[in-house]
Amino acid sequence: MASFARSSLLRQSLATRSPFMRQNVGVSQAVAFHASARKQILPPQPQSIEGTMNDPVPVPSPSPMHGSYHWTFERAVAVGLIPLSIAPFAAGSLNPVMDAVLCTLLVAHSHIGFEAAIVDYFRPQRVPKTYSLCQWLLRAFTLTTAVGLYEFETNDVGVTEALRRIWNA
Amino acid sequence: MASLRTTSRLFAASRPLFRPAAFARSYATVEATKNVDPIPSENPSMKTFKVYRWNPDTPSEKPTMESYQLDLKKTGPMMLDALIRIKNEIDPTLTFRRSCREGICGSCAMNIDGVNTLACLCRIPTDTASESRIYPLPHTYVVKDLVPDLTLFYKQYKSIKPYLQNDTPTADGLENRQSPEDRKKLDGLYECILCACCSTSCPSYWWNSEEYLGPAILLQSYRWLIDSRDEKTAERKAALDNSMSVYRCHTILNCTRTCPKGLNPGRAIAETKKILAA
Amino acid sequence: MFSQKVAQQSLRRLAVQQPNLMQSMVMRASPAAIALGNVQKRPVTSTSNTEDPTQILAKQRLNRPVAPHLSIYKPQIGWIGSSLHRISGVALSGTLYLWATAYLASPTLGWHLESASMVAAMGALPVAAKILLKATLALPFTYHCMNGLRHLTWDLGRALSNPAIIRSGWAVVGLSVTSAVALAFI
Repeated sequence: MASFARSSLLRQSLATRSPFMRQNVGVSQAVAFHASARKQILPPQPQSIEGTMNDPVPVPSPSPMHGSYHWTFERAVAVGLIPLSIAPFAAGSLNPVMDAVLCTLLVAHSHIGFEAAIVDYFRPQRVPKTYSLCQWLLRAFTLTTAVGLYEFETNDVGVTEALRRIWNA
Repeated sequence: MASLRTTSRLFAASRPLFRPAAFARSYATVEATKNVDPIPSENPSMKTFKVYRWNPDTPSEKPTMESYQLDLKKTGPMMLDALIRIKNEIDPTLTFRRSCREGICGSCAMNIDGVNTLACLCRIPTDTASESRIYPLPHTYVVKDLVPDLTLFYKQYKSIKPYLQNDTPTADGLENRQSPEDRKKLDGLYECILCACCSTSCPSYWWNSEEYLGPAILLQSYRWLIDSRDEKTAERKAALDNSMSVYRCHTILNCTRTCPKGLNPGRAIAETKKILAA
Repeated sequence: MFSQKVAQQSLRRLAVQQPNLMQSMVMRASPAAIALGNVQKRPVTSTSNTEDPTQILAKQRLNRPVAPHLSIYKPQIGWIGSSLHRISGVALSGTLYLWATAYLASPTLGWHLESASMVAAMGALPVAAKILLKATLALPFTYHCMNGLRHLTWDLGRALSNPAIIRSGWAVVGLSVTSAVALAFI
């Protein structure tokens, strides 16, 4: 007991003196690590582990609408966009029906893409409020975009034709 | 035990006091350093290693990069040799995991010069002009220095049930057999040593490690998904079919690029997605 | 006779020292054990540490720093290209979203975003500005399209070897820059 107390006392006194010792030794070799100092990229929460280390992490209940069906739909939209983005270069612009299809696919593709980014960086389990705010903002913007594009398609010349004219202006 | 530990730490903390050689050199040379090779050879080729340090005993102190200089002529060819020499001969407080020194245990996984790899399989670049930087596995919680906490990683591994699930006894009562073709499908998967290099190189896993399983676990999951002897394929598929477990993978393919065993977790995940979509 | 005496003595001793303990012990321990003095005593003073031992590690975990990641990882065509894919996608879709929403709001705000006025605005720009504007619009588009094709190939499970990934990554960069320059000069 006595030896224990003495050693910890010694350690304390040494700890307070250690800056001196460092100076004696020369240039301090320890450089503060900057990336973790001020600005962290997407700072994680302090570590906490649910359950003991022998428990598996909980397995989420299956939801293909957000899993495999969603993935297949995403790829289908992307594949559908290929001919629709090549065609205007060949034909100059698209007819109104194809133009409308292109706009629909673009909006769907954009919405899915934004959603993926939101879940990646502001997942509901980490920042639930920011997540739902972003989601509602995205839904609102997708709606206004869809309506805006509809207005443009019906009242104006259509997206591909407008782009062609702007490009050749 | 407690007193033992404190005394050993006391020794470590005051080490420079008891090392007159390094002490003298600090006055002898212009660039005085304590972390230099104590016994360099004639005509040494000195290389600087910058190592991430953080001590849990002083949790309020920020992590630091500490540099050490070693004579490469007296050091083995691999990064692990350098780390072991630093620990043995310069600074015994440096902490890292290592075991087999031949790339089969996966203990010494760390980030060396910006890439995740096993220290025992990574050659020290012989260019002495540039310094080598050694960090723990990226975006892991650090236990001490180069030791990451992989508890969550192992818990995730357990969640995919990494064992054969087959309740049907074989006709002859012997072991479950498979054709050479079916066995061949497991090549490039069973060799995974779960060193966590790929998972901790994946930006998706950095941001979403709580829910996303990560390349290493998904490669293991695929290994059981395509095993011809396993009977719970449907359950395994259902367990993955949600937005987080697999589909946070955006095919960045850092996993395939970094795997120190030359495996292809990216391909395993792509095949998993195909199986789930089918 | 002797054993009886021992039993009596030990019982008396126990009763004097810890009357409560004795009561509970008599209930549980066998008479023989009490008689022979074999009753285990667990004085309260033996556990001085009242801290829940399962919480020590949990507390240490809260202090742990996170190892550096994005800032120290070696720049490689794989993940840099992938982040550019996302950035270009967000830039393109963001432009579409902002423009379409602004178009919807333009009647009430008095803005002119019809094709005719945009064409006129574009036509009024000097040639260098036109080319610059076209290039800034075309590069994210060509890059996102071509890298998208690369992604769709991967989703089929093809071209996933390390050399193929690196080669296709640089090919996409080269092709998208050339086609963007070509588009800018149309």
